[in-house]
Amino acid sequence: MVDASRHPNIELLTYTEVKRVEGFVGNFKVLVEQKPRYVITDHCNGCGDCAPVCPIEVPNEFEEGIAPRKAIYIPHSQAVPLVYTIDLDNCIKCYKCVDACGKLDAIDFGQQPQQKWLDVGSLIVATGFDSFDPSEITEYGYGRYENVITTLELERINNTAGPTTGQIMRPSDKKMPQSVAFIQCVGSRDERYNIYCSGFCCMYTIKNALQWKQTHPDSDVTIFYMDIRTPSKGYEEFYRRAREMGIRFIQGRPSIITEDPNSGNLFIQAEDVGLGQVIELESELVVLSTAAVPRADTDEMGSVLNISRSPSGFFMEYHPKLRPVDSPTDGIFLAGAAQGPKDIPASVAQGSGAASRATRILNSDTWEIEPIIAHVWEDRCISAKGKKCGICATKCPYNAIIVEQGKAAEITPAKCHGCGACVAECPHNAITQLHFTDAQIIAQLHALLAHEPEKKILAFMCHWCSYGGADNAGTSHFEYPASSRGIRVMCSARMDQDFIFEAFRLGAGMVLVSGCHPQDCHYISGQQVGAARFDKLAKRLEKMGISPERYRVEWISAAEGAKYARVIKEMDETLKSLDPKALKEEIERTRPEFERRLRRLPEIPDVAEALEMTVPA
Amino acid sequence: MQRLNQFDPTFKDEVMAEPGGEHLLRCYSCGTCMATCLVRRQYPDYNPRRIMHMVMLGLRDEVLGSHVIWRCSACDDCYEHCPQGIHISDLFKAFRSIALREGRSPPGPTARVNERTCVACGLCVEGCPYDAVELVQKRVLGHEKTVAQVNAALCMSCGVCAASCRSASIDLVDHSDAILFECMQQELLGAEVAA
Repeated sequence: MVDASRHPNIELLTYTEVKRVEGFVGNFKVLVEQKPRYVITDHCNGCGDCAPVCPIEVPNEFEEGIAPRKAIYIPHSQAVPLVYTIDLDNCIKCYKCVDACGKLDAIDFGQQPQQKWLDVGSLIVATGFDSFDPSEITEYGYGRYENVITTLELERINNTAGPTTGQIMRPSDKKMPQSVAFIQCVGSRDERYNIYCSGFCCMYTIKNALQWKQTHPDSDVTIFYMDIRTPSKGYEEFYRRAREMGIRFIQGRPSIITEDPNSGNLFIQAEDVGLGQVIELESELVVLSTAAVPRADTDEMGSVLNISRSPSGFFMEYHPKLRPVDSPTDGIFLAGAAQGPKDIPASVAQGSGAASRATRILNSDTWEIEPIIAHVWEDRCISAKGKKCGICATKCPYNAIIVEQGKAAEITPAKCHGCGACVAECPHNAITQLHFTDAQIIAQLHALLAHEPEKKILAFMCHWCSYGGADNAGTSHFEYPASSRGIRVMCSARMDQDFIFEAFRLGAGMVLVSGCHPQDCHYISGQQVGAARFDKLAKRLEKMGISPERYRVEWISAAEGAKYARVIKEMDETLKSLDPKALKEEIERTRPEFERRLRRLPEIPDVAEALEMTVPA
Repeated sequence: MQRLNQFDPTFKDEVMAEPGGEHLLRCYSCGTCMATCLVRRQYPDYNPRRIMHMVMLGLRDEVLGSHVIWRCSACDDCYEHCPQGIHISDLFKAFRSIALREGRSPPGPTARVNERTCVACGLCVEGCPYDAVELVQKRVLGHEKTVAQVNAALCMSCGVCAASCRSASIDLVDHSDAILFECMQQELLGAEVAA
């Protein structure tokens, strides 16, 4: 930290919040708010004369509340910058600190929050994680039994710079406990709280247990675990060392902890899987290895930065395997536990990766984008005619569209990823997607449904998931009927209602709309835009006289080849079970309504031409 | 329910101090030994993995009093497969040595030396596949004499010593030459009667 603060190319803004982020890759504008310290940074030399005279004591957050701090404080002795801060929520304004500060004259109660805009090329999000609050798991008694503590509390007790100067003592009687039990997976791998594995708790528990055993060889150290996970270099060897040191490992998740109120000792009940019996252990101290959870303000931060969250709640990476450091928004990178629970080596690796990814942007004058971005036909956009619209901007997952009344919608090419949500949602067909134009897709539709359309299943597939699923079905040799015809678009958000109408107008027997599962969407919220549209469409189609079984929406991942094959097989069976006469009648009966709804389709550039295309038999 | 605090936490240290017991704590209960074990096919309640875990927990009486610790035939099939390189038959020897020192006796037959007739030729020592027999100086009937002596902790009751002894001075409890001859005679006579 000290090195970073002294580096000529690094400006540290501590006690500062990011309020707004505008712009795009290479050209971000960031509004930051420096919170008032009530201490002038340039005057304070960190001498610490102020804190002793302060009469207020509140729990010290850095010491996990075990030790007190004053209302004028530094978070910990290695804090950078070494400048005191006044916690105004607790300060009684006795001004004793002002007297103690004396000539330095560093205290200024008149400070106000200060906002400023920064121009930056890229952003790295390294906001870390929170620790799970184990009092939610009532059976472990955290908060009720004094001698049930969390690992972070033990870390502070065991630290020579901590409140006990490294003397391990338990909270109830301040004595060195002769026995300790660690409990793993508290709040993780648990459907009730977090289903994921926090990853690094096994290792830090083994470290703490080893440290304990080394300094107090005669004490009784037990670890209750479900699985010990030591996947990185040298970790298994470390685990083996712990076993050989005589630490007791018991496979079994404790069901309940009870306390003897006289001694403060705790009784842990668990099944010992190795023994095949339920056991009870009396321990003087219990340490809970709590889960790493997303920071409480992840949602807020996510909406400021326009980056999404994984189902676990941590920030989502662009691609779990191929782009694990990038966020879905270009120019914003993720580092450390903000992206998912991580230990130190992994955090350092990701941090280094993020820094080098960011430098790549800073060192280039141009930025290459995919050629499939959206394009506005200004003459068709009604916003240009002074009318209120802006639907495209609300649907864009990347905030890439700016709509000002009186001006045509404007797309920021560097921000557009080419999902096509705006194209499909525009009620006036004023936007197109390069290489996925309406004319191109309609031409494909016509070609695919040129002959015997009533015997065909028309499948719309998104590039990343369901098309991959169909591909997977092929490469895995999952057979499915030959009646399906596929159209690939980038995202389910691109699947325009008009395409589905046109397919039914042409007499397609079945229409399948498929895309990613919501959490897998490669365009942040593109799938949601599509899903909402397809939901409404189901009711609309039914009203228009389309039998509900002729229209199906399925979310299929790139790994679900078997599911793709099954869906097509089921649809084929349904199609074959329909009475051909009745189906023909339905197609003829509903056609006029589709024609009415599609009467403006030829007005879209090039579409009229596409509609006239003929396909040789 | 088993109360862990009532167990003997020093038991594992005692085992580890015994020759062969050094690697006890490496065991992470994968169960490979149990799955490989040939003895288990004969005795379904025999589970070396569980015994090692019980030792680590300190279930002293349960382990030492169990007939299970005498079952290992030291074929070392498990040793070949153990991912932690634990020599389990050595470990079991350690359990048995402690049990014997405490005056517990093996449940099955072991070899027994008739010290009065033993001539200390050493054939049994050479023949024993488990190094369970050695020659020792002893006072027998008032005379200083070299005789064979069986270490019950190591003896697997295979009978090699009894078969190799030229003076019929060593045999198995329950499987002495006399008993075996009787069995054979009964078998043969029975066969004759049936014929």
